[in-house]
Amino acid sequence: MTNKDPITQINAMAQTTEEPPKEKKGLGIEWFAENGIFIFTALLIVFAAIFVNGFASLQNITDVFHRAAPIGIVAVGMTFVVISGNYLDLSVVAQVATAAVIMIAVSNEYGYIPAILAAMLAAAVYGIINGVAVGYFKANAVIVTLSTTYIGLGMLRFFSGGSIFFGPPDGALAQFGAGKLGPIPYSAIVLVIMTIILAFVLNRTNFGFTVRSFGVNEKATRLGGTNTGMVIIGAFLVTAFSAMIAGFVLAAFSNTAVSAMSTGYDFEALAAIIVGGTSVFGGKGSVARTLLGVVFVSVLANVLVLLNIGFGFQQMALGLLIALAVTVDALARRAGKK
Amino acid sequence: MTQQESIKLGAQDLTTWGKVKLAIARRTEGRGVALLAIILVIAALTEPLVFTAYQITLGRVALVGLVALGLTVVILMGQLDLSVASTLAASGVILALIPDLTLGIIAALSFGLLVGVVNAFGVAIIGINSFIWTLGMLFFLRGLALVLSDEAPVKLTNADAGIAFGQPLIGPLTPRVLLFILVFILIQLFVSRVKAGREFYAVGGNPQAAKDAGIPVKLRIFTGFMISGFVSALAGVVNTLERTAADPIAGSTVLLASFAAAIIGGNYLKGGRGSIVGTLIGAAALGVLQVALTISGVQVPVQQIFIGLVLLLAVTTDPNNLRAVISSIRSARSSRVKIQEPAPESKNQPQVDG
Repeated sequence: MTNKDPITQINAMAQTTEEPPKEKKGLGIEWFAENGIFIFTALLIVFAAIFVNGFASLQNITDVFHRAAPIGIVAVGMTFVVISGNYLDLSVVAQVATAAVIMIAVSNEYGYIPAILAAMLAAAVYGIINGVAVGYFKANAVIVTLSTTYIGLGMLRFFSGGSIFFGPPDGALAQFGAGKLGPIPYSAIVLVIMTIILAFVLNRTNFGFTVRSFGVNEKATRLGGTNTGMVIIGAFLVTAFSAMIAGFVLAAFSNTAVSAMSTGYDFEALAAIIVGGTSVFGGKGSVARTLLGVVFVSVLANVLVLLNIGFGFQQMALGLLIALAVTVDALARRAGKK
Repeated sequence: MTQQESIKLGAQDLTTWGKVKLAIARRTEGRGVALLAIILVIAALTEPLVFTAYQITLGRVALVGLVALGLTVVILMGQLDLSVASTLAASGVILALIPDLTLGIIAALSFGLLVGVVNAFGVAIIGINSFIWTLGMLFFLRGLALVLSDEAPVKLTNADAGIAFGQPLIGPLTPRVLLFILVFILIQLFVSRVKAGREFYAVGGNPQAAKDAGIPVKLRIFTGFMISGFVSALAGVVNTLERTAADPIAGSTVLLASFAAAIIGGNYLKGGRGSIVGTLIGAAALGVLQVALTISGVQVPVQQIFIGLVLLLAVTTDPNNLRAVISSIRSARSSRVKIQEPAPESKNQPQVDG
């Protein structure tokens, strides 16, 4: 607590912010942060194929796709929120479960079209509440989505009474869930289609451009005349509708729905996004990279299951993976600034 | 304009009413007090049992509040510690696994300090956003608790000590409530009377300016996260002792309630503003709310909805954010009236903020 003159303090601040630019290195941490995921994914798959018993079977590959598809669809949608610089959307857990329960419970009574409409309404409500709170009230996205998770799951448990819903075994939804194109289930094809559509939206449309520029510099985007509140709502709506489709896919695969079915999706999707190379600082990243991250995380999870490693260790491994990925990201960012 | 200048000059020429208004405006606990008042009135009208069974209510307030107190110290610095609930669970399991009680308590509390060091290392040294880093820790520690406990609740070896711990010590106050009061007093004194504690506000308000003024910012971040880790571990120890068993997935509702308590108590998430008293008020409000809901027989999912709504309300009605939104609208309107051609910046403001 020194009693400095305020002007000297301001001067000191001004001096520290002006750092001389240094030349970038060729193959440093930045290159690693950009391209390391390609090497690691390849290494992991080769390792798994050679050393892990039962990984390279056709049945197991189908299983990996089945598991990866809903998480992947959530992750490619959530990439929008992360790129816009709002950390993440924790409420995807509630959103996926809500969509799945609505899909099965409503379609059993009234058919598929009302079920889809009801699920879309729920997704829109989630997206708009999250988006308005974050975009217009400038509230912290982590806390907002944490609270909407609990509100959403609480309402779902209250209205469903915590019971499990079963679809008819020969319904269209069940047939879609069991359908395969060679070893690739339909759900994985949905994931690829979603990736292509969302990659187009993020890279080629005006909305995608404003989402990315918002992540780079919020103030500049606002002063540039963009209605930033609407952009944030848009990003959360994209996430909400992706989570809805993930819920449909999940409901189709298991042909059942319960409020606890999507536990851990928030975290696995975030792991996939960060591992894929999308920066949690916002602005940097792509949907296609998230898809690569999804492959990595899903193969890793599959290998851990095949090696008979317990759930606790799997959680620890995911936690470590996130820590490593954000460390590399932060170090690369620092190297880039110097 | 004159009123604004007088505020700048330290309110010497204000009337008594003006001084009171200024004192109120400087406090951050307004929303917490309002919520507590509303909840107390509704509870008094519908469930007077909340007050007659005040031992239960105090215990619940202490449960929510203990974690929230540690959290507040971190929030004052503009950081967040999402790993508090998992630290609570993991340290509880560690205590239950070690047969000797004293050794177990020491191990559990040191574990909390260690978690704080790891959290602070990621935030201060590597430079990762605390929201993401402590989220990673949340899942890592949850996994650790599951691995250590073999995915099942662990019984406390010395169950007698646990039962003794649940008994009232002074008057109707159980050791849990006394510990909570002790931690509250210590942290309140630390952030209001100790130099290192007061510097937390400076670090939260403007880290760069704090650094330039000679405050060891990184050391303060370490201190803050270690306090938070220690207090959550203490909460875990208290929980395990009272229940004479450790649950590896304990604390998921505590996470939500403690965040709600700290934020509704007026602690600004970007740091620099807030108070420990505010957290106490917030914890009291949420504790009474939870007990009142439980006594009226409301199901657990509905309780989750209520606490989630309080948190959502708390984070969206943050006065610092609302003030910025309102003032930008006001300045845009006044500039339109006074100046014939509005400035380009203010022209954008109403569209942006509402």
